[in-house]
Amino acid sequence: MNALNTVLKEYLVLLMIVGLAILTAIVEPKFLSPANLTNIMRQFGPLILVSLGMTFVIIGGFIDLSVAGTINLVAVVTISLIDPLGQTGALLTGLLIGAICGALNAVLILTGGATTQAEALFITFGMSTVYSAIALIYSGGSTMHFWDLETSYSAFEVIGSGSVGPLSVSFVIFLASLALLWIFHTKTAAGRAISLTGGNKTAARLAGVPVSRSIVLIYTIGGFMAALGAIVLFSRITTAAPVIGAGFETNAILAVVVGGTTLKGGKGSVLRTVMGVLLVILLNNCLNLLGVSSYMQWAARGAILVFAIWLDNRKEVQGNQL
Amino acid sequence: MDTARSEIILSIKDVTKSFPGVRALNGVSIDVRRGMVHGVVGENGAGKSTLMKILSGVYKKDTGTIVFDGRTIESTTPHESMQSGLAIIYQELNLVNTMSVGENIFLGRFKEMKGMGGTHAKARELLDSIGCKVSTTKLVSELSVSTKQMVEISKALSFQSKLIIMDEPSTSLTTEEMALLVKIIHQLKAQGISIIYISHKLEEIFDFCDIVTVMRDGNVIDTKPKVEFTRDELITKMVGRTIENEYPERSRKVGDTLMEVKGLNTRKLHDIQFTLKKGEILGLVGLVGAGRTEIVRALFGADRVRGHSITINGKPVTINNPKQAKDAGLGFIPEDRKLQGLVLPFSVEHNISMAAIERFTRFGFLRKSLEKGIGAKHVQSLKIKTPNVKVAVKNLSGGNQQKCIVGRWLEIGPSIFIMDEPTKGIDVGAKYEIYLLMKEIAEKGGAVILISSELPEVLNMSNRVLTIYDGRITGEFEPEHVPADTIMRSALGLEGGAK
Repeated sequence: MNALNTVLKEYLVLLMIVGLAILTAIVEPKFLSPANLTNIMRQFGPLILVSLGMTFVIIGGFIDLSVAGTINLVAVVTISLIDPLGQTGALLTGLLIGAICGALNAVLILTGGATTQAEALFITFGMSTVYSAIALIYSGGSTMHFWDLETSYSAFEVIGSGSVGPLSVSFVIFLASLALLWIFHTKTAAGRAISLTGGNKTAARLAGVPVSRSIVLIYTIGGFMAALGAIVLFSRITTAAPVIGAGFETNAILAVVVGGTTLKGGKGSVLRTVMGVLLVILLNNCLNLLGVSSYMQWAARGAILVFAIWLDNRKEVQGNQL
Repeated sequence: MDTARSEIILSIKDVTKSFPGVRALNGVSIDVRRGMVHGVVGENGAGKSTLMKILSGVYKKDTGTIVFDGRTIESTTPHESMQSGLAIIYQELNLVNTMSVGENIFLGRFKEMKGMGGTHAKARELLDSIGCKVSTTKLVSELSVSTKQMVEISKALSFQSKLIIMDEPSTSLTTEEMALLVKIIHQLKAQGISIIYISHKLEEIFDFCDIVTVMRDGNVIDTKPKVEFTRDELITKMVGRTIENEYPERSRKVGDTLMEVKGLNTRKLHDIQFTLKKGEILGLVGLVGAGRTEIVRALFGADRVRGHSITINGKPVTINNPKQAKDAGLGFIPEDRKLQGLVLPFSVEHNISMAAIERFTRFGFLRKSLEKGIGAKHVQSLKIKTPNVKVAVKNLSGGNQQKCIVGRWLEIGPSIFIMDEPTKGIDVGAKYEIYLLMKEIAEKGGAVILISSELPEVLNMSNRVLTIYDGRITGEFEPEHVPADTIMRSALGLEGGAK
């Protein structure tokens, strides 16, 4: 009985994913059509990258609402730099901007003396609007298209719609990111420092664990992964508008928490986030196929987030002792 | 003594409770009688707190029966148990700091009291009944621990409680405050209210308890009237073995100067300077809030301080953060084990290894086999009671948790070990082991700075003590040769440098 409980709790998300998929496939056979599966894969690409970065921020005990602004900024700047800098230059600059945006968040949090998740929430929320505003000013508010470019954008086409064997390029980018981040989190000293920081900042600092460095790291990773997500996103839709990042922050946080990484910090895994993202995207897809209105979809997503947090707190209560 | 004659108000029978990896209660049976002060003693991890939390509805029991006031209690919530006349006063107290005394006593029941006027009037009555003069409109945050306890007791009385559980109420009380608490306990007893009094302090048990239950490792070892217990018997039953001395003999190997601190000034501290010798245990004595903790936190780089100088072995060192302190050979057991010491959801192993991560890292990668060895080594040598090293440290008892922090620093092998309240809330056996460790560190040529609110502990362990009053060092004594009250007077600012 106890064992069953544990299994249920550990694999609840996986069970929900499978259940949801089977249910939708029965009710709406279109779900299994190649076109729909490709569609799911495509949506998966950008969100999973952003969510993997967000996982680190949350494991470190903080939160990052600025990814929407970072995606907006990176998208419009990167696409506009393809002509002057060439593809490689534009790509690298885009990723660098993402990392800098993230690091800037961390510096503001540290110098502002913010120690709680709530303070970080407001600081990064503020920075999101700043990054978005810069994106709007930079682009003049207009959308940029690949077909307006004068030089080659072949590399971005490959990122957006190319494939390696049976896998899409964006999926390969995801697998590589997942592997690297998983190794970083579980096998390196810096990864351990991040977990300890999230588990108890004060205790970690008093044990000589580099807490400030960990905070800079998690936000830099968060910003970098948001930039990577932005590049995959605009490469796929061949267009960069200064508002394309809207909603990514909430979906990423939703995916991380639903996946089972605790908002309290310390405990979590990028592997869990993969399941979380799958569930979030499947849910969207299913509700779409079933013709549920987008307003109801918002309600469903909110309900799942609340449920995930409730579940997480229940685990905490049962594990408590003495 | 009619300890066997009055009726049973609370009957606990064969109650068990397990947590992941730990069996906290193992068929516990206790009867509490009306109008009796029932002492419950036992080391940390004996199961006292778990049992009390089951009574108050915080935890659910696995098996067994509980009958309170004639009614069988299956499961309850803290609110229900309060309503039914069973109140519990926790060590950490459960009041809303930002609300007034009166509001706290009748929290959530203002309507029944017919508004704030009635609330404050009734609160006044209750406080007066236990001889507490604090104004009902005062904010709880402005009260001393002792007065907060009075407020808690008044709150319990407001529910017409028949049984009040007090969980180590004396931990932060002065002698006078303690005397007042005893007076109130006698008064409650006279009104027919039963009290379960949980404590580590044998003096209190022998002073005013009627019946005593000894618990160890989740079992009730013995329950009988206090008068039938001898002190030695009680200790033996608590720890399961005989303890001859409460403190080890003082270390005798004090040598040359190891560390020198000068010009330590903060908003709270004034020109702190002192030296620390090799092989020495240096005690800091003072009231809570006198600045003892601030001094060691500044030394360790935990708080930002400027303008002071520290030399270790004659060489000036800069310590601006705990990392630099660690590298300079300092170790630190902070005051609050759970908030500042442990990463509670993490395993015993990770908590032990966290200060020594560099030692099992190569090219940035963790070498987990080495880490495992570090965890296992200290669990074994410090006799940390845990099913295995992967168990979350929050599942351990207080004493074992503290040993994890000690092990964490022993792995680094600091030459200067700062211990702020290292034995707070720890049982007799584990305390002695920590004393031996201090002595060992000192005898190996290191030094220990010891802060403790338990005066006998500092005076018996230290080679030298500094008294701190209002952010200044007011005196320096060798406790072996100076009477305790002289040192205490200095710590109260009555003699020495401060006026």
